[in-house]
Amino acid sequence: MSDKPRVLIVEDEAQIRQFLRLALAAEGCTVLEASRLADGLTLAGDGGVDLVLLDLGLPDGDGIDFIRAYRGWSDGPVLILSARTEERHKIDALDAGADDYLTKPFGIGELHARVRALMRRRARSGVAASPVVEFGEVVVDLARRLVTRRGEPVRLTPIEFRLLAMMLAHPGQVLTQRKLLADIWGPSYVESSHYLRVYVGHLRQKLEDDPTQPRHFLTETGVGYRFQPGS
Amino acid sequence: MRVLLLIPSRESSMLLPTFADQMSPRRKMATSALACVLVGLAAAPLRGWLDPANVVMLFLLTVLVVAVVLGRNPAVLAAVLSVLLFDVFFVPPHFSLAVSNLQYLITFAVMLATALITGHLAATLQEQAADAGRRERRTRALYEIARQLAGALNDLQVREIVEGFITAEFAGRCQLLLGDAVGDDAAAWLVPARVAAVHAAGTRQIDGAVIYLPLKAPMRVRGVLAVHPGNTLDEAELAALDGLASLVAIAVERLHYVEVAQRSELETATERLRSSILSALSHDLRTPLTVLVGLADAIVLAAPGLSGPALDSARTLRDQAGRLAGLVANLLEMARLNAGSVTLRQEWQPLEEVVGSSLKLLGDALGRHRLRVDLPRDLPLLRFDAVLIERVLCNLLENAAKYSPADGEILIAAALAGDFVELSVGDRGPGFPEPFSAQVFEMFVRGDGESTTPGTGLGLAICRAIVDAHGGRMRIENPAGGGGRVVVSLPRGEPPVVEAEVM
Repeated sequence: MSDKPRVLIVEDEAQIRQFLRLALAAEGCTVLEASRLADGLTLAGDGGVDLVLLDLGLPDGDGIDFIRAYRGWSDGPVLILSARTEERHKIDALDAGADDYLTKPFGIGELHARVRALMRRRARSGVAASPVVEFGEVVVDLARRLVTRRGEPVRLTPIEFRLLAMMLAHPGQVLTQRKLLADIWGPSYVESSHYLRVYVGHLRQKLEDDPTQPRHFLTETGVGYRFQPGS
Repeated sequence: MRVLLLIPSRESSMLLPTFADQMSPRRKMATSALACVLVGLAAAPLRGWLDPANVVMLFLLTVLVVAVVLGRNPAVLAAVLSVLLFDVFFVPPHFSLAVSNLQYLITFAVMLATALITGHLAATLQEQAADAGRRERRTRALYEIARQLAGALNDLQVREIVEGFITAEFAGRCQLLLGDAVGDDAAAWLVPARVAAVHAAGTRQIDGAVIYLPLKAPMRVRGVLAVHPGNTLDEAELAALDGLASLVAIAVERLHYVEVAQRSELETATERLRSSILSALSHDLRTPLTVLVGLADAIVLAAPGLSGPALDSARTLRDQAGRLAGLVANLLEMARLNAGSVTLRQEWQPLEEVVGSSLKLLGDALGRHRLRVDLPRDLPLLRFDAVLIERVLCNLLENAAKYSPADGEILIAAALAGDFVELSVGDRGPGFPEPFSAQVFEMFVRGDGESTTPGTGLGLAICRAIVDAHGGRMRIENPAGGGGRVVVSLPRGEPPVVEAEVM
């Protein structure tokens, strides 16, 4: 990877591309642009792309097709740009392999935070993860299956622990309800979202300072959950 | 009249009875007697030459013909008369009822019996043939009208077809009444009360000369057919009218469902158009807003290059762009709700979660207001669309923040209330103007007409539309401790069980 990360923007609106280009240049990124799905895939295929910003509604196809094609040869991060009312699309995109999404309109601060998080994750991949994870006042030893909060041991049920471990394994990343349900409860539970919600509630009650205003186990309304290590 | 009823002419074997049908019974008797006398006269000159047995045959033939042509009673008369004539003119002693050879008494008896039996049989056959002919004709007519009704494209055509049929078959008038009300254009011979009674009961009623037939279709009674026939009807004709009424009922019902199908197709098309316009509109509005919000933010973040006043302007620009985006989101949401293009994605979930996500979404927008969340731990799961209820909560919280003093407390609370769970957002503001009216939930209505507080009055209207769609209720109140409060009641339903885990 070169010093300057290369970001590919696939977006049909020229003004939005321009604003993204300015914002990313300020972050020290090299920006590639495509207004059509096909051009985007060609640019991505040339290699050397560290991050893709993808609009879901493109004139020559669905952004989800882009993700499926891109995932054929690359596991590089993909950030979706989409509207608030399009939860269904976001979920489909995430299930197809996108890493995160931003809801339009968004501020520069948000954009920078998401881009940095994705780049960090990319840089970290391949580095052996430590079995001990800390967030807030909680310490989780994944190897020994021990959880403490403010030094006090916290008792978790097996499912609670599996859920916690899965969320810790994807810091800062959105996990769709569907994925969490399928991985933890099994494929026959993908429609039983209430299980997931009840268990996330348990984790919040045991590990958050204020379960009604969580700082680590965040809800992505209509989509899924995100584990935020820092506050 | 566009209706053509093709009734075939009667077959030739029926011609004679048709001619005879027009005679009075007395004339039939006279004709019968005349026939016997003529045969007697014709046979008399041949008396010496003809064997009496053959004369008997001639008389028997006459009785048979009379039975076929004139019917049963003239045949009986002809039978008796033939025996008498034979006795008087052909059995010695002639011109007397006396009989010289007693053998002839047997001839008379056999002749009478044979004449009566053949006459009876012939007349019965004739009647049955005539009946069958009438039945066939009616069946044909009903079949024909069924065919026409099947091709009818609207109620008016059905009316014309039925009127044509009644005129042709019953030489009468009729009126087709669809629905259970009698319009002003109804004929004078109709009794509206009778129409309503027949419609309600679903059975045929006869009132004087008028027959009221219910149009009983498979789904329900579709109306009443009133017939004023030219002459009185027998049972078979009434049965034919019943058959007609069923045919009309089925035709009317078919037309009704054709109309329903067409209407729903039109509605679907309209809805599709509406939602495609909406999504195009929201895309077109969102693009410049995204650029505006993003660029305004970029200017603020590039702060080192800006002087104090310019930085303030940039901040204002960013905040206002953000507000504009929120406003557009609200407007589009309302349009989507109004267009009916919103499908609820209802899932069972804890209220606590949506409260948390709303607070996170609002972030700094709540400013310096103190926030208190008071949710009981044992609230049941509720079934709702998280995205929409999040919007309700955000709107209510924004309202609360707008109307209460800068450092005032905002309280989010929930409680069980019968079959509902009540979620309330209370503020320390001036409260709602009394007396309360449902108007605050209407679009573009604001609590205070000329208030300087910004807002469109869309917020509560959207909340209500969303809560309504969930089968819930909304109300406003001014609690005793001061301030205002909006209460959202969501139905509890029967939450699914989440089995407890064994540790």
